Amino acid sequence: MSAPTDISDFSIGKPVRRSEDAALIQGRGRYSDDIAVDGQAFGAVVRSRYAHGRLRSVNIEAAKGMPGVLAIYTAADLAAYVAPRSPFALKSIDGSPMLGATTATFAKDKVRFVGDPIALVVAESEILAREAAEAVEANIEPLPAVTDARAAAAPGAPQIYDDIPGNLPLHTHFGDIDKVTDAFSRAAHVARLRLVSNRVVVAAMEPRAALFEYDPASERFTAHIQSQGVFGMRNNLAAAMGVPPEKMRVLTGQVGGSFGMKGVVFPEYMALLHAARDLKRPVKWSEQRTESFVSDHQGRDHDIDAELALAADGTFLALRMSGYGNIGAYVTPFGAMIAALNIHRNAQSVYRTPLIEMHMRCMLTNTPPIGAYRGAGRPEGNYIMERMVEEAARISGIDPIDLRRRNHIRPEQIPFATGIGTIYDSGDFTGLLDEAIEAADWNGYAQRKAESVARGKLRGRGIGQYLEITAPPTNELGKIDFDEDGGVTITTGTLDFGQGHATTFAQVLVDKLGIPFDRIRVVQGDSDRVTIGGGTGGSKSIMASGAAIVEAGDKVIEAGKLAASHLLEAAVSDIVFSRGVFSVAGTDRQIGVLELARRLRVATGLPTDCPVTLNAVHVHKASPSAYPNGCHIAEVEVDPDTGTVAVVRYTMTNDFGTVVNPMIVAGQAHGGVMQGVGQALMERVVFDRDGQILTGSFTDYALPRASEAPPFVIRNRPTIATTNPLGAKGCGEAGCAGALPAVMNALVDALKPCGVTHVNMPATPEVVWRLANGKQARAMD
Amino acid sequence: MHEPSAQYKKRLLRIKVNGRWREDAVADGCMLVDYLRDTAGLTGVKTGCDGGECGACTVLLDGLPVLACVTLAVRCEGRSVETIEGLAAQGRPSRLQQAFHEKLGAQCGYCTPGMVMASEALLRRNPTPTDDEIRAALAGNLCRCTGYVKIIESVKAVAGLAP
Repeated sequence: MSAPTDISDFSIGKPVRRSEDAALIQGRGRYSDDIAVDGQAFGAVVRSRYAHGRLRSVNIEAAKGMPGVLAIYTAADLAAYVAPRSPFALKSIDGSPMLGATTATFAKDKVRFVGDPIALVVAESEILAREAAEAVEANIEPLPAVTDARAAAAPGAPQIYDDIPGNLPLHTHFGDIDKVTDAFSRAAHVARLRLVSNRVVVAAMEPRAALFEYDPASERFTAHIQSQGVFGMRNNLAAAMGVPPEKMRVLTGQVGGSFGMKGVVFPEYMALLHAARDLKRPVKWSEQRTESFVSDHQGRDHDIDAELALAADGTFLALRMSGYGNIGAYVTPFGAMIAALNIHRNAQSVYRTPLIEMHMRCMLTNTPPIGAYRGAGRPEGNYIMERMVEEAARISGIDPIDLRRRNHIRPEQIPFATGIGTIYDSGDFTGLLDEAIEAADWNGYAQRKAESVARGKLRGRGIGQYLEITAPPTNELGKIDFDEDGGVTITTGTLDFGQGHATTFAQVLVDKLGIPFDRIRVVQGDSDRVTIGGGTGGSKSIMASGAAIVEAGDKVIEAGKLAASHLLEAAVSDIVFSRGVFSVAGTDRQIGVLELARRLRVATGLPTDCPVTLNAVHVHKASPSAYPNGCHIAEVEVDPDTGTVAVVRYTMTNDFGTVVNPMIVAGQAHGGVMQGVGQALMERVVFDRDGQILTGSFTDYALPRASEAPPFVIRNRPTIATTNPLGAKGCGEAGCAGALPAVMNALVDALKPCGVTHVNMPATPEVVWRLANGKQARAMD
Repeated sequence: MHEPSAQYKKRLLRIKVNGRWREDAVADGCMLVDYLRDTAGLTGVKTGCDGGECGACTVLLDGLPVLACVTLAVRCEGRSVETIEGLAAQGRPSRLQQAFHEKLGAQCGYCTPGMVMASEALLRRNPTPTDDEIRAALAGNLCRCTGYVKIIESVKAVAGLAP
């Protein structure tokens, strides 16, 4: 919609307005629930109302006879299907593999959380399906439930699986116990905190929804479904249903937020696919919000005792963590990995800390399963380290900024091999901290604080410096097609759910091939076209798809030079390519890349060695993880009369390497920070003693609102990544990683006059009011 | 999602939708959101909660913002409803919509129709809102992607300008 001007206005580094927006701002987005086909039936899921119990029988007779009901399916009908395994080969201390890695589709003999699916009712309309679902009688003999990880590990706790003793499917240990023990014995100071990362709901604004079709003639499924990459979703759905991948087509349109959650196969999908094949009718399903509060994977829920050993001069000697990861009632593809691996690896952050030990019990409980949520262990690891740094500063008397500087990995030490096996290729952590301090007007704080105090408020400030390890490498498709209509289509296997990929990836191609921005389309959502792809997740899309596009562009240029040499009648070695034009060096003979592509389409009689097309198919081979990092500084104001905490200033200096679109990157940072603010101050999934969810709607569960958005100062201070062609580092999850510690460090600082040295998340008004008024904190459960 | 069960009676609803009168047979229990999405085909109206909690279905009823998920369609007899699809004039996005484009007011876009309509209502009754007035007016519309900052900037960008 912007008037097209110079191509360079749309190249890397420019705040190009999004090509996605025209549809979205006019209500023309096509989300899963917006799709309707002739003859579609509707599904509704019967869910357990008990957190734990023996499923004695499921009586479907009454429901079966209700108006419009087509079929009802229970676990017995779905026995052939298998939920996908975790892709991570995790092992416990004793070498045994993680238990419970595969689960039944629907509850069979037992129900294990409120919301556990029991049956699928398919009917002619959604309301008829829901009404019939109400009439399905699940005969459940209730058992005692356990929702807290420490309680699940205690002797005598309810046993959720017969074949997983102690509710403990995975018990990991990383790090060198002897060396860490020795480091602690030499320490001049030891900081200790118990740090809770509270359970949150993902709360993508679009609930999960899907439409499944089956064509008996070709024996092929078509799944219109949300995903984080159609290639992976196709393979996982096909595997779950026991059909070859080519018998499954996945189509993903607009996705209304995902944050890690919509990328996996949920049990409902297998039942719905089964129904579509069994009934030979399209079957649609969309969850209600109350359903999403119990059936979507949830995030976080870790309870960790951390210790940081320091030498007398403040040098970090070792970090030791021991704790519990509540992974919910079923082992999901990511839940245990987040707790066991990602927290440990990301706690390294920007510091030299030579030894990091982590002892983690991944506990099954009678709660909805834990999956990936923005950052998936990265924010938690950084939160732990930055709270420990502040606590270490407090007990040692060393200034917290000095303490950070003394322990930073310095630019001259890069590339730096950490003790946990990562190699940081770039970064200037002290420079970044210093710039954040300057941008936050650190020196003007005393005056702002005095003004707050004059108004009867408490004020505090906190630093959250962070470094994240982006997702492990995957191969990614970079396909460039020069279309009949003069447009150019990029096909790649990441998937946009709000990030602005179509705009960002087009900018990469503008930069590479000089093709006008408005001629470029991006295709991600059709598994018939995306022939390989690692999908989106772990902040890796720009490294994966960006690199794939750059390298595919190299192939276009190579073929184009050869083709141009024929059309311009010159030697290949004399052809140069610049800003979209192939020319013969030292002459005015030239041809644009789009014109060249058109000529090749219509040309006849070209020499046999002349390429017939400029189209390129390329698979990028796995750029390694990158290390986005930054420093956040929050200032909060506490009202001691009400316990409310307002984030009144928020400053970010980030190193995301090459920034393709600074406007989009700022939006990613804002959103991530706000999710962090939500977790720090507001959000928490609460269960009662019986495992019933008490926070099952947006009325009961506090999500941040517009009235709580802080004013932001944001700066980019890039050092270029050396491990991918763009030099990018990824930015999607960084906001959360910086926000949790920045906000909580600021809150502890604000409450210092009340004698407070630590507050666990979420610091709700009740918690803060008690602390600010010298009352005992109430037990959480 | 809130469509009526078979036991509801249907009646004829005369309603102006985005400037055009139309008549449809509508069940008594049918919510406005389902009428707009399923009968009128206006899928820009979104559903993000089970009733009155998220603001994604915000539309204008006789110029005032209402939540279509808790408004019965039959209560809109003879009244005028405006949805996100009706804001564009001659196929061009309105200034407010354009501002959401210029300022990155949308990310995943799911809350966007509700945000735009709530903002439109605000600007009609208060063409020059302050930041705090914008925050207050949008406090009933949830967004998980943007952190709200750029939504507020989008509204601010057209504050004081003629519609």
